[in-house]
Amino acid sequence: MELNTIKDAFDRVAKKQKLSTSKSQEVIDQVGHEIEQALANIQSIHDSASPVDQKSILAELKTKLNMVGPHNQLEGSQKELSINLSKFPKVLDKFFNPDISKAYRNVDFDPHIVNQIIASHFYREGLFDIADCLINEAGEPELISLKSHFVEMHRILEAMRTRNLEPALNWASTNREQLKQIGSNLELKLHRLQFVEILQKRGRADALNYARTYLAPFASLHMDEIQKLMGCLLWAGKLDRSPYTELMAPSHWEKLAEELTRHLCTFLGQSYESPLSVAVAAGVEGLPTLLKLANVMAAKKQEWQAMKQLPVPVDLGKEFQFHSIFVCPVSRDQGSEENPPMLLPCGHVLCKQSITKLSKNNTRAFKCPYCPLDASVSQCRQLYF
Amino acid sequence: METLSNGTTASPTATATVVSSATVTAPSSKLTQLAESLKLEHQFLRVPFEHYKKTIRANHRIVEKEMSAVISSVAEAADGDLSREDAVQHLNSLVSRLQGLKRKLEEGSRTEHLQAQRCRARLDHLESADTESLSEWNNTRLTRILVDYMLRLSYYDTAIKLAESCNIQDLVDVDVFHEAKKVIDALQNKEVAPALVWCADNKSRLKKSKSKFEFQLRLQEFIELLAFKSSTECATYKVLFETKQWDYLVDQFKQEFCRLYGMTLEPLLNIYLQAGLSALKTPFCYEDDCTKEDPLSQESFRNLALQLPFSKQHHSKLVCYITKELMDTENPPLVLPNGYVYSTKALEEMAAKNNGKITCPRTGSVYNYSAVVKAYIS
Ligand SMILES: [Zn+2]
Repeated sequence: MELNTIKDAFDRVAKKQKLSTSKSQEVIDQVGHEIEQALANIQSIHDSASPVDQKSILAELKTKLNMVGPHNQLEGSQKELSINLSKFPKVLDKFFNPDISKAYRNVDFDPHIVNQIIASHFYREGLFDIADCLINEAGEPELISLKSHFVEMHRILEAMRTRNLEPALNWASTNREQLKQIGSNLELKLHRLQFVEILQKRGRADALNYARTYLAPFASLHMDEIQKLMGCLLWAGKLDRSPYTELMAPSHWEKLAEELTRHLCTFLGQSYESPLSVAVAAGVEGLPTLLKLANVMAAKKQEWQAMKQLPVPVDLGKEFQFHSIFVCPVSRDQGSEENPPMLLPCGHVLCKQSITKLSKNNTRAFKCPYCPLDASVSQCRQLYF
Repeated sequence: METLSNGTTASPTATATVVSSATVTAPSSKLTQLAESLKLEHQFLRVPFEHYKKTIRANHRIVEKEMSAVISSVAEAADGDLSREDAVQHLNSLVSRLQGLKRKLEEGSRTEHLQAQRCRARLDHLESADTESLSEWNNTRLTRILVDYMLRLSYYDTAIKLAESCNIQDLVDVDVFHEAKKVIDALQNKEVAPALVWCADNKSRLKKSKSKFEFQLRLQEFIELLAFKSSTECATYKVLFETKQWDYLVDQFKQEFCRLYGMTLEPLLNIYLQAGLSALKTPFCYEDDCTKEDPLSQESFRNLALQLPFSKQHHSKLVCYITKELMDTENPPLVLPNGYVYSTKALEEMAAKNNGKITCPRTGSVYNYSAVVKAYIS
């Protein structure tokens, strides 16, 4: 991006604006000066009976002001400024896409749904005030129901940011069974963090007590881990110089907060990333391609409005890849229930219809188009991604 | 490609360019992707610039107007027959008029300066986008897009709160919309006067774009007048049509306003959401087992995407059911005897943990790791 060119163009505008302002000031001063001069001249007339004098002074002032030519002076500087003012948008048009709505399809988004999505986004980000404000301003009081999901989540995470693990531990113990089912040892990790914290802040005796009460139940399943933590006890007060110094790393807090957030979201039936962020980010990535396409299709506006599938791929980063999509290398068709991907004995994969064609309607053996090994229809297996 | 090749107008070569450029950008580095996304920020620079320009023009008009008033006032005095006292008084009043103008000019130039700073802040913000700290920059972009949405829907308090909470006041157009708010509020109160003032302020620009807005305002004013002093028949007519008519005027105004400032007519949010949902939309999004991480697993997003086209793929993109990671040459897909496919990483890890045994998570069947075969996806 040629930002420097744009900056230079803008600096030229700003410079001309300053020049124009000082020119205006100068002209005002000039005119003011002449008037004041005339004023002084009139006031210095002693013989008040002679009207000719003030008349001639005023006439002289008129001529002088005409000579100053304030209009011409102002116009001159303004003209230069005007040229630069109209140049700058052209520079913008050149470096930026002047109309990003070119690829827009004329469908109305239901504002209630959009508001719901936004309110939900604010709640999940912990922006409770702003979400409440939106609900209020948009007149959608029912959206407040989205709030409750996230209140507890943010209470737990907020406490964790101030190194208070109490709410997180409570949540983990309440959901112990479910966590176990998904093979998570989150609770142990939380206790470990708490143990190290206590050892550092309150010393060996408290840490030992904590370990007896809370870590002991994990001993049978996680012996190694517990032994390591017991080893720490010997280094109370000098943990930073111990072989266990790694346990003090602040990154443990960040990582565990992230893991906890993932679990909280899953248990709430929510995604980890904000769906609004994901959809908008996908839009930012996809829009440039769509705009190029819209330019090519400009003559076929109606088709653009009606097509059921985009005519070209819009490639998004792998973070947006949520589904397995199989495209047959022979027919370029997308795999589906009616036309599923099939594994050939050689390991290559084609769609069912391609195989039907190659085998002349399933009547004979055929050669794989990629490795030319022989295959028969009966040897092909359907794949499930 | 069906849609394009069936047509008669779009040339096939042009289509080919799109396809190839799309494929070229596919494996593009994060850097070119970032550059492409910055090109979408036209409005981000254009709007504050238009605002700046407007202030400059208005300030200049004031100077010009006052100046000619002073000059012609001197000319008048010179041509008349003033007493000495009157002449003194007259010139004194001109001097203080010029002083007033100077103050106004200073005030105006302060505003101009602030607006120039805002333009610079935005240029700096674009410059600050780099691939290292992109996630923060992207978050700010989303906030900017949301503030734009709030402003367009007249949720001003939310817009201001949101901008303040993220400290991005210079990066959003709350000030610009403040001007719109006055007109919209009035129209909603069935008053046309502020809208007419706005039309007068922007006369030349509106004329250039052949706007009919002023005419519509006058017409509405006329209808109101009729309904006010005439029969019940007219009053009924008025009640029937007026609410819709005023809403229509508000919409018209918003469009004229956006056009004047070089904004898109649609909220940025709608534009980005449409593009994003089209790019994400696949038939699989609508299946019951669609992952929660896909926005299209949610009813609200599905609803918005209803009238949007599906995305298209030219090449297979396979995601491991277990790890959700892409299965590519580095992590190739492996096939279990039952036809279910998982990534090498997932199955290797499972085998290592379970003495070489693999349990298919979708069918429960158990196999030896040695029974899996590699699939070649091209
Ligand atoms: Zn083969």
